[in-house]
Amino acid sequence: MTKKNAALRSGETHVQAVRDAFPGAVLDAAWQASDQVTITVPKDMLPDVVEFLYYGRGGWLPNMVANDERPLNGRYALYYLLSMEEADPGFVTVRTEIDPHSMEYPSVTPRVPACVWSEREAYDLFGLRAQGLPDERRLVLPDDWPSGLFPLRKDSMDYRRRPEPVTDVENYEFLYEGQAEEVTGVPMGPLHITSDEPGHFRLFVEGEEIVDADYRLFYVHRGMEKVAESRLNYDAVTFLADRICGICGNAHSVAYAEAVENAQGIEVPVRAQYIRTILLEVERLHSHLLNLGLVCHYCGFDTGFQHFFRVREKAMDLAVLLTGARKTYGLNLIGGVRRDILDEQKLATIAFVRELRSDVEALVDMLMSTANFESRTAGVGRLDPAIARDYSPVGPCVRGSGFARDVRFDHPFDGYRYLTGLKARSHDGCDVQSRTLVRVEEFMDSLTMIEQLLDGAPGGPIQATGWRYTPHKYALGYTEAPRGEDMHWAQVGDNQKCYRWRAKAATYSNWPILRYMFRGNTVADAAIIVGSMDPCYSCTDRVTVVDVKKKTETVLTKQQLESYCWRRTHSPLAGKGA
Amino acid sequence: MFELFKEIRKAGDATIGYPFQPLEMPAGFRGKPEHKERLCIACGACAIACPANAITMDLDDEQEYITWDISYGRCIFCGRCQEVCPLYAIVLTTEFELAVRDKADLRESCAYPVARCSCCGKPYAAAKEVDYARRVLESVGGPAAADADAVSLCLACRRRDDALAFQRQARVASEEGGAR
Ligand code: SF4
Ligand code: SF4
Repeated sequence: MTKKNAALRSGETHVQAVRDAFPGAVLDAAWQASDQVTITVPKDMLPDVVEFLYYGRGGWLPNMVANDERPLNGRYALYYLLSMEEADPGFVTVRTEIDPHSMEYPSVTPRVPACVWSEREAYDLFGLRAQGLPDERRLVLPDDWPSGLFPLRKDSMDYRRRPEPVTDVENYEFLYEGQAEEVTGVPMGPLHITSDEPGHFRLFVEGEEIVDADYRLFYVHRGMEKVAESRLNYDAVTFLADRICGICGNAHSVAYAEAVENAQGIEVPVRAQYIRTILLEVERLHSHLLNLGLVCHYCGFDTGFQHFFRVREKAMDLAVLLTGARKTYGLNLIGGVRRDILDEQKLATIAFVRELRSDVEALVDMLMSTANFESRTAGVGRLDPAIARDYSPVGPCVRGSGFARDVRFDHPFDGYRYLTGLKARSHDGCDVQSRTLVRVEEFMDSLTMIEQLLDGAPGGPIQATGWRYTPHKYALGYTEAPRGEDMHWAQVGDNQKCYRWRAKAATYSNWPILRYMFRGNTVADAAIIVGSMDPCYSCTDRVTVVDVKKKTETVLTKQQLESYCWRRTHSPLAGKGA
Repeated sequence: MFELFKEIRKAGDATIGYPFQPLEMPAGFRGKPEHKERLCIACGACAIACPANAITMDLDDEQEYITWDISYGRCIFCGRCQEVCPLYAIVLTTEFELAVRDKADLRESCAYPVARCSCCGKPYAAAKEVDYARRVLESVGGPAAADADAVSLCLACRRRDDALAFQRQARVASEEGGAR
């Protein structure tokens, strides 16, 4: 590469800034794609460099990836992925190597709180200990998992093996961070047969007010990264990635495919890029309608819920028309897509889009004029912008707190490069209402995008051919799923398999901020706050309330909590332990 | 409120008659894969491509048959099998009612007699596939047809034959070169 070219690469200014601020810190800088650079730093410089890029240069942290590179270079490595969203946008990854004898590195979490989940996970799966990490509890592994068995180490275990449980009680400790001395804990979850996804929440309340909350997820961790490494060939992983989410699977499959394509330098034909983008937006249509329906439900406006779901069915029909399945599943291959959009499908899609636009406009008007909407959502579940800046949340959650972060616009990829007249939406109410309004606007934008993309898509092939497979190259792939960015990091091995695949779903970035959104609200608001995050999870099925003053525990059922959420009278806590 | 009633009226009946009435799926819908046992040559392409391992192939214990199996419980209806099948022997249909009372009913299987290597006698492919390959080579004609006999050899024997032929050729070439 010539000098002139090198100067044009994105990320160059950030690398230079790190060199200037920390002389000798950059041991190596390598570009994986035109917008992606990885710098290797010594491990004692790690917190300084990540903090500098994060707060000093407009970086946000989607994720950190740990990797067992002993078979490649004798060491473990950590990759802190930073999305640079101010000057010189692109991705800067800070990499550091860890000697397998020490297995320790300085924690970045005290400087950049957004690292907390990733650093906890790196211990669970690899046994890499972050020194100074404020929260060292298990994140991913269950309580009955033997300590000392780190499943993602290359030499640890076969993916089919399930070790003997070491305990049969749940011994996870829920942390209370508030000041008040007497709180009541309200457990919600973890499991109920009617719940689609389990999670265990503990609300710490003083009377009716939530003073703090802690929660535990990963009850259904499926070990997909391990399966992808061992069972599937790298090109079949797109189909597994689909299954990460029951709603936004296509966003994951595109992100995975693009991670491999970026790493291998595969040029995806422009038509395929357009088709991917159209399908991503179709996915957003039905996902946002689902959430708007849920908002109605939590406001006690169940008629609205039914109508949003009636209209949502049209978005599902659109998915069937374009992909042959109600979910936009199974359409991506490395190098392109598997189905073209034919002329008659294009015309039918345009008709669907028009219909959806007028239907949803009418329903949104109805929702907005519902008396309950304003009172149930305004000022509820406040996400302080300062907390948002620290934790790097994504999607409508962060956009409802005044940050217009959206990878479709921050790092335009695929068909998003060719759109005109649209920008990332944001509202600054920081509450449930703002997050809902962001979704409404984005829904309408998605319709416009689909129209523009159908119109602009050039003819041509939909799959790339004739590229070379180079083992051990890695890169990032990213999409804006309905709930925020999905970030995948993939490295293929020398055996046609993923050497390491790290899939970060949008909601992974959002859970850590939930406790702050809960604080100061009443128990009646808990359900709508969780709902406004639109976690891949809405059946927060049972709650334990712990009263700080009275030291009692009460278990609420989902129905009790929901009906209290609608009526806000007849508290299910009234009279208990009084 | 009035708006709401108007909308409800406009929406009319949103429910459909299914399951009391049939539900038509649009063309291109990806439903149950239908395997045509007679067309299939047991080449194994679908079993390799199937990301969910719904299709599996095996040699039976007596080494007489190659079995082809599909489990609809594992199938994710992606259609990769259809895409890779050289003979259109497996095609996705629009059928989606796949629930069964007995889990075993989710499986379908068939078996194809195995072909044994004419040199070492080891089973190496389905007899149907070998026949098919021979017929294709013969119909192509030319140098390809001359190769048709070699399809009766297993991969290992064929490799050895090829290597020997190459060695002979090289020897001849070097002798000629030396003579010159
Ligand atoms: S790819 Fe077709 S011919 Fe080959 S085994 Fe599968 S169904 Fe049979
Ligand atoms: S449709 Fe997909 S999952 Fe089902 S049998 Fe065919 S390749 Fe396998």
